[in-house]
Amino acid sequence: MSRDYSSRYTLLGTLFTMLAALIFGQHVSLLLDHQRGEILEEVRTSHLGSIWTIHPPRGLIFDRKGQLLAGNEMVYEVGIDYRSIDESSNQAHTIALTSNVYFGLDYYKVKVTIENPPNPHQVYLPLAKGIEKEKVDQLQNLLAIKESDSRLERAEKARLAAQLDGLVLQPYMKRVYPEPLLASNVLGFVGYTQQGLPEGYFGVEAKYNEMLSGTPIRIWVPNDPRMVREFPPIPEGASLILTIDRELQAAVERILEENIQKTGSETGVIVVLDPKSGEVWAMASYPRLDISRYWEYETLSRSGHFVFNRAISAMYEPGSVFKVLTMAAALDKGVVTEETTFLDKGAIEVGGLVIYNWDRAGHGKQTMQGCMQLSLNVCLAWVATQLGAPDFYAYLQAFGIGHTTGIDLDGERAGILKLPHEEYWSPSEIGTNSFGQGVSVTPIQMASAISALANEGKIMRPHVVRAIVKEGEQFMISPSVSSIPISAKTARSLTEMLARSLEAEASVALVEGYRVAGKTGTGEIAIPNVGYTSNETNASFAGWGPVDDPRFVVYIWLEKPSTSIWGSEVAAPIFPQVVKQIALLMNIPPDRYRKAAQ
Amino acid sequence: MKGVNWRHFDFWLLGAVAVLTIFGITMIRSAIAGNIELQELNLVRRQLIFATLGFIVVILTASIDYHTWSTLNQTMYVGMWILLGVLFVTGAVFFGSARWFDTGVILIQPSELAKIVMILVLADFFSKNQHRLGDLRVIMQSLILTVGIVIWILLQPNLSTSIVIFVLWFALLFAAGLQPKHLFLFIGLGIFAPIVSFPFLVDYQRERIINFLFPDPEARHGEIYNTQQALISIGSGGLFGKGYGHGTQVQLRFLKVRHSDFIFSAIAEEFGFVGTVLILLLLLFVVYRCIRVAHLAQDTFGGLIAYGVATLIAFQAIVNIGVNLNLLPATGLTLPFISYGGSSLLSILLGIGLVESVALRQNPLEFSTA
Repeated sequence: MSRDYSSRYTLLGTLFTMLAALIFGQHVSLLLDHQRGEILEEVRTSHLGSIWTIHPPRGLIFDRKGQLLAGNEMVYEVGIDYRSIDESSNQAHTIALTSNVYFGLDYYKVKVTIENPPNPHQVYLPLAKGIEKEKVDQLQNLLAIKESDSRLERAEKARLAAQLDGLVLQPYMKRVYPEPLLASNVLGFVGYTQQGLPEGYFGVEAKYNEMLSGTPIRIWVPNDPRMVREFPPIPEGASLILTIDRELQAAVERILEENIQKTGSETGVIVVLDPKSGEVWAMASYPRLDISRYWEYETLSRSGHFVFNRAISAMYEPGSVFKVLTMAAALDKGVVTEETTFLDKGAIEVGGLVIYNWDRAGHGKQTMQGCMQLSLNVCLAWVATQLGAPDFYAYLQAFGIGHTTGIDLDGERAGILKLPHEEYWSPSEIGTNSFGQGVSVTPIQMASAISALANEGKIMRPHVVRAIVKEGEQFMISPSVSSIPISAKTARSLTEMLARSLEAEASVALVEGYRVAGKTGTGEIAIPNVGYTSNETNASFAGWGPVDDPRFVVYIWLEKPSTSIWGSEVAAPIFPQVVKQIALLMNIPPDRYRKAAQ
Repeated sequence: MKGVNWRHFDFWLLGAVAVLTIFGITMIRSAIAGNIELQELNLVRRQLIFATLGFIVVILTASIDYHTWSTLNQTMYVGMWILLGVLFVTGAVFFGSARWFDTGVILIQPSELAKIVMILVLADFFSKNQHRLGDLRVIMQSLILTVGIVIWILLQPNLSTSIVIFVLWFALLFAAGLQPKHLFLFIGLGIFAPIVSFPFLVDYQRERIINFLFPDPEARHGEIYNTQQALISIGSGGLFGKGYGHGTQVQLRFLKVRHSDFIFSAIAEEFGFVGTVLILLLLLFVVYRCIRVAHLAQDTFGGLIAYGVATLIAFQAIVNIGVNLNLLPATGLTLPFISYGGSSLLSILLGIGLVESVALRQNPLEFSTA
């Protein structure tokens, strides 16, 4: 026998011992490799737990009488956890079928999404948001193992649950609006940022976003069940009580829509203010967004000139309503009195521009009341020149023209008022501005300016939030004076003048049982590079009352009415409709009952 | 033929094997704690049953003269060939490869048994043809014998077991007396073959090799996950470990296949460097005892059997631990005696039984005859 190679056994034994030594060395070097150790330690600690950001439930929004305007509802996000998907099993089919049957998702879309992750490292992908709790409950009921279940049923349920392993149902709070069209322009909506966090857009939701959303809490949640601790209490977001009256808002919105249909207008706004406090009782804007489908805002705003809240963001030339401010300024400064007369020849030259009346006729000798009643451009241009540019513009600024009112809504615009020292101003502007042309305003700006006449010369800052409720305590928002453009005497006498002129012409704006003051306006619409057209107008009406103790200011604006271009014909008739609702819903008794009670 | 002297039974070998097996079961218990799915399968009890069966097998095999296997040589080879062939055709498909036989009660993995059968077949072949090993044709015959079995295993596909069998073939060939000139030829081929065969590998096999050689720093949950978690487990275990049942990597299941392929990492986390070094030393001791038996063997056949089993244990252990320590790409090789797996435990204990059988029939030097 040709032996002996048995020494080779030892050779191999030695080789293995050397390899074992190599392993030993690698083991030691792994333990001593600090740089690598640090990286791995980082990975390890990142797996030990995760930081959760817990958002408290968003604060609620109520109307002034406590009716819910915005609340929260628990809904689910449905998503895929790719780590739990076993490609070789039938999971994609089971999950797709379940999502189709229970959540109404598209079977093939879900199946394809599961089978083709966007990239190989994708961990999670959301499929759908806002799935109702009832639907999720139904599915969880199906999977829940009950006492009465047989062994076979239990096994079948466990098998299905294992198949659905990659289907993630994550609850979250969704903003809900019981009446998604009511006051939507005031409320705004809650959308999601690119990071997927809820955020308020427009209106109160945006302006008070931080208060409503509260302070999110970041806590570290360990994966180790032995280290689990209790969650700290999470302070809720503050709730808001608005100055808006739900019933009045609904009524005003209805009136606006009816009249827009009747007059063939494109858009419209009605603002109802309490002049004594600046509280906005109703703010209707047409058209409005259905905030339960807020994502449609993007297409709407891109397709046309959709403005979320026209009452604060739409700018236009107001026309004759503006004469109220010109006259108030002149009366207050004392350059004219109620008794001052003016000889109207039908035209006047201001700064090189000849100004005509709306009917291009002269109306002879007129008192100031007559000038307002007949809405004479020529007369008001003369009044403004009597006042002089410095004073005229100082008064307009005091009335808030050219800057925001500071209303607590997101998206307010300032309007445009050119001032004498500015580049594009020309001396003729004082003439055109006196009757509301060449100046751009927002409806809330006009309503706020007019409210000086209804509140003894003081403008209260308009606001929509009446009180903030935080941790069980209610903080009232106290009214604040924004400016005092005119004296109480001027306010009273001009109000009286405008009340008399409405009565003198037996205006359609008169309200039975209530003595009111007001002024119509018809602003011509300027088209860029063309100039003013006279068949497209902004018809408006500003009214307030009762004259002896004004409780409300109503501002009405219809854009491009087609049945008639005149504010006196389309906007003025809306006023009494609105006042009747205010009187009814805000408890304002007719003048004679009120006086009898005093 | 001499009578059996139980005084020659290697109790040190059996003792070390018993310690490793029992420690393995203990570690499996910790590794699957809290996992309802694995607990439902009752892995600990299964492993205990297999271990008990295994030690009965050790005693039985030890009492049978290993020369008996020499006569059953052809039967075993043909039987194994048919078993693997049938498995390939009808076998249940698990984890993408047909490795198991579902007997209805348990799943058995014939390729584990194939390792032991190949040790016996090749030891027999080489001991009978030892004087003709200078002839390349004889070497080719042994290679064809090996490929005949490996081809089915490669088709499963199970690359790691195929490599183990080739390693056994080469180790036995070397120990039987491979000529140095042929040795260098095979070493040359050994370097050349992987490069040529790389394009023919199955996708997942190629991916694993690429991931090992060029780890993607972006990969988090995919391919490098297991290795990374293994390294974290080893590193966080430190010198003395976190204690039995207290390893967060193991208990919170960051470490995957922690009861089989990555059980070494689980040991490292819970018993620390000291624990793993003890395991490593015990395994080396087992290998040493097997090689010792190979030296004492009565004849070349016995020597080669003991030597083959030593190679099997050492190679599997080194590859498995090498994977755990990120020295080698991920394979499916288990840690002998310790990892979960009935077939592999039973097979390796069968190997120990063969070694004991050789030890019992050793040539007592004091009575050496001419």
